[in-house]
Amino acid sequence: MGQATEESEQLQEIGHDEYDPVGTLALIGLYFLILVFLWLFVYFVEFLGNDPTVIGTMLIGGIA
Amino acid sequence: MNIHSYEKLWLIAALLLIVGFIATITYGSVGLGIAMIDDSEDTVNPGSLDEDFGEPRVEHVGENEYEAYVIAQTFTYRPDPIEVPADSEVTFYVTSRDVIHSFSVVGTNVNTMVIPGEVSSMTVEFDDPGEYGIVCNEYCGDFHHTMEGQLHVVPEDEFDMTELSVEADDEVELGDEATFNVSVENGMLDDLETTASFEIGDETVEEEITVAGESTEETTFTVDSSDLGEGDHDWTITVDDYEESGTLTVVDELEEENDGGNNDE
Repeated sequence: MGQATEESEQLQEIGHDEYDPVGTLALIGLYFLILVFLWLFVYFVEFLGNDPTVIGTMLIGGIA
Repeated sequence: MNIHSYEKLWLIAALLLIVGFIATITYGSVGLGIAMIDDSEDTVNPGSLDEDFGEPRVEHVGENEYEAYVIAQTFTYRPDPIEVPADSEVTFYVTSRDVIHSFSVVGTNVNTMVIPGEVSSMTVEFDDPGEYGIVCNEYCGDFHHTMEGQLHVVPEDEFDMTELSVEADDEVELGDEATFNVSVENGMLDDLETTASFEIGDETVEEEITVAGESTEETTFTVDSSDLGEGDHDWTITVDDYEESGTLTVVDELEEENDGGNNDE
């Protein structure tokens, strides 16, 4: 128990907004950017870029 | 409630991400016309596809617009290969004669289930020539893994829907005329202007023919067998890239039991 008491003496209280986990923010930000990039890649390059693709009959009916 | 500034940042970013997902899909469907395959087609009776659905075929229905009627059955697709021109819009109507199959043009999003009684329809834009494989990705039986078809997108100027058939005499008596009935079918909507050329022995006859859209034009070549003389004579009839050939035998006297016979390959 003595050890615990020693540690608790070293505790430092910080305010809510003083907590500043920059590393976590950077990591999550990186994940976020990867996610956005992969979405754009999968949708615009892999999905729309791979002709031929199914198009709507409604739209063609409208044009023709 | 006290929310940390990083948490607020994350909440806003996550919301923007969802808005972005919805916006890209909306752009794809409204702006580009990308569609999903639905069940809007009428149902057919899989037992009488010949009447309800007709022969598996490709039809020319408008300028650069085609319709392909495809029947999937264990373990094949018909027609095979499906041939369409590049720079066209093709609407596929696919149905099954027996069990559930799928119609998947490999490497593209042209991919649908094929259900007996239901007609899956999808309109596809083909810009460039190419060859695609079609596979079944619904387990349909012992030889599911061998079920495949071919989709050939051929260059526009090489595409036609011409069919040539020739009915010709096999054998004629010396002195009689041999007739060659040529019929040229044009499946396109536009008229086809072409030349039918007939070669027999050293003789070549050419005839200009015009086949109206979606119709068949017939012409007849005749040759006097006394000009040819007795014996076998090879003949060839050519219309565009299509060729029919055979052999005409000129005999002194036809045998009674032989009624001439027709060569209509």
